[in-house]
Amino acid sequence: MIRRVAIVGYAQSHHQHNMQKTREDMVFEVCKEALHHAGILREDLDTVITASTDFLDGRTISNVFLSMAVGAYLKDESKVEEDGTSALYYALMRILAGTHDVALVEAHTQGSTFNPHQVSCYTLDPLFDRQIGVLNDIAAAALQARIYMNRYSVSEEHLAMAAVKNITNAAENPCAHRKMPDVSVEEVMNSKVFYDPIRELTMSPISDGACALILASEERAREITDKPVWIEGVGSCQDAYLRDRDISSLDSLKSAASTAYKMAGVKEPSSELDVAEISEKFAHEELMIYEALGLCQEGQGKNLIERGTTSRDGEMPVNPSGGALGADPVCATGLIRVVEASKQIRGEAGGYQVPGVHRALAHGQFGICAQKNTVFILGGNGS
Amino acid sequence: MSRNAAIIGCGQTKHSSKRRDVNLAEMVSEAVYNALEDAQVSLREVDAFVVGNMQGFGGIAQPEQWLGDWIGAVGKPVIRIATGGTTGGSVGQGAYYPVASGLHDIVVAVAWEKHSDSKEAGATTGLLHVGLGNFFHAASYGLSLKNLVATSAVGAAAGVAVYQAVFYMHRSGCSAEHFDMVAAKARRNAAKNKYAHLQWPGCTPEDIARTEIIAYPFRYGHICPASDGASAIVVAEESLARKKTRQPAWFKGLAAFSDEENQLQSENFGGVGVLDPCEQKGCWISATKAYKMAGIKDPKKEIDVAEVYQPFPSQELIFAERLGLFDEGTAWMALEKGETDIDGRMPLDPSGGVNATNAIGSTALQRILECALQIMGKAEEHQVPKKVRNAVAHGWGGVTSYNTVTVLGDSPGR
Repeated sequence: MIRRVAIVGYAQSHHQHNMQKTREDMVFEVCKEALHHAGILREDLDTVITASTDFLDGRTISNVFLSMAVGAYLKDESKVEEDGTSALYYALMRILAGTHDVALVEAHTQGSTFNPHQVSCYTLDPLFDRQIGVLNDIAAAALQARIYMNRYSVSEEHLAMAAVKNITNAAENPCAHRKMPDVSVEEVMNSKVFYDPIRELTMSPISDGACALILASEERAREITDKPVWIEGVGSCQDAYLRDRDISSLDSLKSAASTAYKMAGVKEPSSELDVAEISEKFAHEELMIYEALGLCQEGQGKNLIERGTTSRDGEMPVNPSGGALGADPVCATGLIRVVEASKQIRGEAGGYQVPGVHRALAHGQFGICAQKNTVFILGGNGS
Repeated sequence: MSRNAAIIGCGQTKHSSKRRDVNLAEMVSEAVYNALEDAQVSLREVDAFVVGNMQGFGGIAQPEQWLGDWIGAVGKPVIRIATGGTTGGSVGQGAYYPVASGLHDIVVAVAWEKHSDSKEAGATTGLLHVGLGNFFHAASYGLSLKNLVATSAVGAAAGVAVYQAVFYMHRSGCSAEHFDMVAAKARRNAAKNKYAHLQWPGCTPEDIARTEIIAYPFRYGHICPASDGASAIVVAEESLARKKTRQPAWFKGLAAFSDEENQLQSENFGGVGVLDPCEQKGCWISATKAYKMAGIKDPKKEIDVAEVYQPFPSQELIFAERLGLFDEGTAWMALEKGETDIDGRMPLDPSGGVNATNAIGSTALQRILECALQIMGKAEEHQVPKKVRNAVAHGWGGVTSYNTVTVLGDSPGR
C-alpha cells in the first residue's frame, strides 16, 4: 500500500432483536461513541462512508436521513449498499488516494424492521428463481450445508459444536445478541429445524445493531492514538450467481484471502495469525471459512472444531466474540468483526480477550451462500 | 503520493421508456461491453467493478449479485454504491478512488435503471417514500395532514422541485418562460445525441409552453421522462491510460457534500432548518472543494462545458450558478443570450441532460461520461465546437440537497 492507514477508534451497539430505538438514534449514539473512543471531534473528520441497504432499512434512499446522525453534515460522504467491510474498503481507498486523512465508517441494520431472510428472496434472479418461490438464503444454505457435509463426512454434531463454541463465546461479549452461556450440543441439535440441516441455533439471529469505526492516515493516526491498529492487507471478491457457481466451496473468499495475505506478507495463516473474526451466518459456513482462509486443508474444518483448535483458548482462536451466530445485524456484521479483531489487538476485549494478539484477520460476507467476501489483515504496533 | 486516474472508455445504451428488447442484465452488460470496446480493454484486464442503481426501483435487491456474471464481474471485487438520485455520480467517483489509491489499475463503473420493470414508475412509488417517511416528524410539529399531502406527497421529486423553482424565480427574477427555453434546448440537444430519450429536433420554447401545467410552474414539457438505460466508464491509472488512449479524460477534482438540514420536511422543520431548497449549499461546497483539488481558480473562465443534473429545467439554472459558472441569479440572462447553447460561451448539457434522458441510477454517471466524451472529442453531433480543457459534471439527489461534483480535464493537472 502506498500509505499506511490505521483504525484509531470504534464503537458498536448492544445488539438485540428489537432495540426500541429509531435507526437515527441507534446510529447517532454509536458514531458519537466511536468519535469519543478515538478522542477526536466531528470537525476532525474528512469523509464519512456508510453501509446499509434500502431493502433492509425499509425505505428509499435510506442513507439521506442519516447524514446528520453519522456526522456527515457538510462532509464528503458516500454509501455502499452491502456489508460494512466494503464501506471500510472504500474508506481505506479514499485515504490511500491522499484526498482524505480521517474517515468515519458506519454500518447498521435493524433486522426487526424487515426480515432479512425475506429480503434475500428479492436478491434472487427475478425472472426464474424468485418466481418459483422455493429459494431463500436459508434454503440455499441448507443445500450448501448438505453438499459440504456429504462430501467431507461432516455430521450435524460438528455443526452443533461450531455453534456451541460461538454461542458460548458470545455470552462473554456484552454487545452480543444471543446470551446462552450453558448451551449444549444436544440443545442445538434439538432446536427448531428451518431447512434441514439448518436449525434455529445453527443460523445467525435476526439482530438490530450498528457499528462505527474511525480510520486515519499514518500521520493523523499517530497524533490520535498510541495504539493504532494498522491495516496490513485487504482483499475482496464476488462469486458468480447462486446457480452458476459451485456452492460447496467459497472460491471468492479464497481469492479475497489470498489477495489480503499477499499484501500483508502472510504465508502461513494458521501460524502467523493470532486470532480470526469471521462472519459465519450458518454453523457449516464456519468450517468452510476455515478451509477457504487456509487455516486447514480442504475438508479438514471439522478437525479444528473437534480438537478445539479454534476455541478461545486454542492455538488458532476464531470468533472469541461469538461471531455472527452471536449477533447478526446484517450490514454491520462484517464491520463488527473488524472492531472485535481490533479490540483483541489492543487488548480491550475484556472477558473474551485472547492473550498476546499481534495480528488478526477480520472477514465480512454478503449475499446468498456468502457470494461476496472481504478480508482484512490487521496488525498492532509491534507486528 | 496519490496516483492520477483517467476515463479511457465510455459506453451507454440507447434510452427509451421501455427497453422490452433486453432484460436488466442484458441492458447493463450492453453498457459495460460498449465501454470496454471503446477503451480497447479486455475483461481480463479489469481489476474491479463499481456498480449502482436506485435499489428497489427495478424490484431487485443487490442486482449486481444476480447480474455479475453478465458483466464479467465474477472473481473480482465489486463495490455497490447507492446514494439516491446521485447514485451515478457516487459510482463514477467510486471508480476514481480504487485507481488513485493504488489498489487497482483498471476499474469499470456501471450504473443503470430499468423503470419499466416496476409495475408503477419507481420514481413515483419509490420516491414517495422519501417524503412519506418524515410524516411522523412533521406531524409531531403539529403540521396538518392536508398540508403534508400538499407539500411532500404532491409527486415525489417534482413535489420538491416546484418549490425549489418558485424560490429560484423569486430570488433571481426569472420567469416560467425561461424554463420553456431550457426544456426546448434540452430536447434539441438530445436530438443530436443518439443515446438520448426525448429527442425533438427544432423544439421551440413555444412548443413547450403549449403543454399543460402539471404543478405550477412546471408544464408537462418541462418534466424529465422515466427512462430505461445504463452507462459505464472505464477508469485507468496514468501509464495505462496514456498507452490505451490518445486523449484520456483525467479526474482532476471531485467531492460529494450534502446539506440535508435543508429539507422541506426535516427534523428542523420546527424553525431552525434552512428552508430555501434552491440554496444548495452542498453543491456550492462540493464545487469549491473539487475546483480547489483541480487547481481551478475561476470556473467562469476555466470550465469549458458543464453537464448539470437537471431533471427539471429550473435546476439547470440553479446549479449552473451554484457550480460557480454564473453569478447568482444571472444564469437565465445567459440563457436568453444563447450562451448556454452547444455553440455558446458556456454550453450546459449539450447531451440534452437529465431533462431529456432519466434512467435515475445512471443519470449522474452519464453527466461524468458526457464530460469525458467532450474532452476526448467523441461526442459526435453534440460535440461543442471549441477545445474542451476542463469540464464539470454534477449530480443531485438525496432528499433535496445531496450533490456530487466531478471535474475532468484534458491533462492530469498535477
